[in-house]
Amino acid sequence: MTSLALHVVDLTKIFMLRERASGFGAAFRQLFRSAQREQLAVDRVSFTVERGERVAFVGPNGAGKSTTIKMLSGILHPTSGHAEVLGLTPWRDRRALAYRIGTVFGQRSQLWYHLPAADTFELLARVYDCDPATHRRRLASLVDAFELGPELRKPVRQLSLGERMRCEVVASLLHDPALLFLDEPTIGLDVTAKARIRELLREQSEREGKTLLFTSHDTGDMESVCERVIIIHHGRVLVDQSLDSLRRDHIKKKLLTLHTVESECDLSLFGTRVLSHGPHRTVLEVDLEQTPVEHVVQQVMAKARLRDLTISDPPMDDVIRQIYARANSRSAADPLPAIGPT
Amino acid sequence: MNQTISVGAPRLGMGRRLGLSKYCAIACVAFRRRYNERSVLFGRIAFYAVLLMIFSALWRAVFAAQAAGSAPPSAEFGDYVWYLVVTEWIVLSQPSLHMEVQSDVQSGDIAYQLGRPVSYVGSKLCEGLGDLALRLIVLGAAGLVFGRFFAESWPDPTQLLLAALVGLLASLLMLLCLLSIGLCALWLHDCMPIYMVWQKLVFVLGGLMLPLSIYPGWLQSLALASPFSAMLYGPGHLVSGHEPGLALPLVLKLCGWCTLAAVVMCVLERRGVRRLEVEGG
Repeated sequence: MTSLALHVVDLTKIFMLRERASGFGAAFRQLFRSAQREQLAVDRVSFTVERGERVAFVGPNGAGKSTTIKMLSGILHPTSGHAEVLGLTPWRDRRALAYRIGTVFGQRSQLWYHLPAADTFELLARVYDCDPATHRRRLASLVDAFELGPELRKPVRQLSLGERMRCEVVASLLHDPALLFLDEPTIGLDVTAKARIRELLREQSEREGKTLLFTSHDTGDMESVCERVIIIHHGRVLVDQSLDSLRRDHIKKKLLTLHTVESECDLSLFGTRVLSHGPHRTVLEVDLEQTPVEHVVQQVMAKARLRDLTISDPPMDDVIRQIYARANSRSAADPLPAIGPT
Repeated sequence: MNQTISVGAPRLGMGRRLGLSKYCAIACVAFRRRYNERSVLFGRIAFYAVLLMIFSALWRAVFAAQAAGSAPPSAEFGDYVWYLVVTEWIVLSQPSLHMEVQSDVQSGDIAYQLGRPVSYVGSKLCEGLGDLALRLIVLGAAGLVFGRFFAESWPDPTQLLLAALVGLLASLLMLLCLLSIGLCALWLHDCMPIYMVWQKLVFVLGGLMLPLSIYPGWLQSLALASPFSAMLYGPGHLVSGHEPGLALPLVLKLCGWCTLAAVVMCVLERRGVRRLEVEGG
C-alpha cells in the first residue's frame, strides 16, 4: 500500500461562465446566443500528502481551495491533471472513496436540524454500511472523546454552534475514514470552542493516524493542528512547506517585549522600531535583515537594566498577508514559481 | 498488494447487500422529522377541513337546485364529497420535494450530498416517501372523519379500500413527478414556473375538484389520456363511481406512468449530476 494519502499532479479546473450583458436588447439576444468566457479556478496544482500528515490548505477567498477539495472528493471533475486519493481516482471511484474519506464543512451541516444528533449518527452508520456492533463501540468512544453525552439526545436546533460542530466532526468520523477534509470547521466559533475543536482534531489524528487536509482563514487553526502548510492563490500553489520552515523563511522580524527597572529609557536602536512604549515596558520590532536579535539584546542591556525579556514571532496572519501581497505584486509574471521546497 | 482497512471502516462491496437498508433508514428518519414538525401537519388538516366544508356546501347547493333540472348526472351528494375527500387527500399529502431539491441546488448542498455513498435521487425519494407516509396516515384518518361529517354517509367499504390502495400508487407517481420537477433546478435554478404549470394541469386535467365525468367530451378525452387523470380522477372515481372493476386497469395504468416517471427522473438525475461534475455547483 502506498504511503501517500494524496498525490496530485497538475490538477487544473477551468469553468465556463456565461457572460451576462446589461440592457434589454442584449438580454433578448442572449436568449438565442450567449457569450461564454473561461474562468481558471485551479491552475496546475501539484502536491503530495503522506498518510497521517496534517496539512493546512490556505488561501484567500476565491483562491481555488474549495474547488480543489471538491475535485479531491470526487464531486467535481478536473479539466486536466491527475489525482490519487488513498490510491483511488476520486472522480472515477467516488462511491468507493466516499467510504474512506470524511468531510466537515463549517458552513454546511450534515445533521438533521429537527432531530437529535444521535438519529443522524444512526442514519450515517446505515449510509456508510457500518457493522452495528462496531458502530456502537466507535460511537461510544467518539462521544466520550468529544464530550457529547448530554448533547446527543437534544434536537440539533437546540445545540450551540460549538456543540453542533463537535457533532459534525463526530458524524464525519463515524465510518472511520482514513482522510478527513475540513473546510473552515472553526468558522464562527468562540475562542474556547475553537481551541477545543482544534485539540480534538489533533488528538484524533495522532491517535488514529488520520490524514487531515484543513482549510481555514484562521491561522490559529493552522498553527494548532497542522504541521505543514500549502498556500494557494489565484489557483496556484505559492507555498508548500512545513510550518517551521515557513516561519524560518518568511518571518523577517521579531518582537522584543522588554520590562526594565528604569521607568523611562531611550531604546531606539538601529534596525528596530518601537511599537509601544510605557513605564517600565517597551515593545520593539526587530528587522532581522538589518540586525540580529542578539545584537539588539546586547545593546538594550547596555542601555537599561532588564527585569524580563520576551522574544516572539509576529502573528502568522502578517506572514500570510505578506505572502499574498508578494504574489499579487508579481502576478503578471507567468508562471509563478512555488516558494519553498515542494 | 493487500489493502488494509481499519477497524470499523465499512467493507467495500457490502453496499449491494445493505443497499435497501440505508434507503429505509432515510425514509424512517424523514418520517420522524415530519412527526417532530407537527404544526405543518395541523395546518394541512385545517386546510383540508375548510376545503371540504366549502365544496360540500357548494355541492349541497347544486343538489338543492336539482328540481330546476341543473343537477349533475348520475351521482349522489355523498359521492361528490367522498370524491373530494380522496382527491384532496392525495394532493395535500404531497411533500414539497421539488422545493427541497431546488434548495439543495441553490445552496450548493447537492454537491456535498453527492459525496456520500448513496444515490442523491434515491435518498431524496426515500425522504419524500417517509414524509408522504406520515401525511397519508394522518390526513387519511382526518379525511375519514371529515368525509363522514360532511357527506353524512359512509361509502362502500370495498370501494373506499380500493380507492385508498390506488391512492398510494397515485401518490407515488406524484412524488416522482415532483422530484423530476425539482431536478429541473439543475438547469433552471428555479423550478417554480414548471411546478406552477404542472400543478394547474393536475388540478384541471386531474379533476381535483370536479370529476372528469362532468367535463365536456373533448376535454374529458384529453384528460383521460394524460397521467393526471390517473393521479386524481381514477382514485376519486373508485370511491364514488360504484365501478370497482376499474381498479385493475387503473393500477396497470398507474404502474406504467410510474415507470415512465422513474425513467425521466433517472435521466434528469444522470444528466444533471454530469453537468454538476463538470460545471460545479
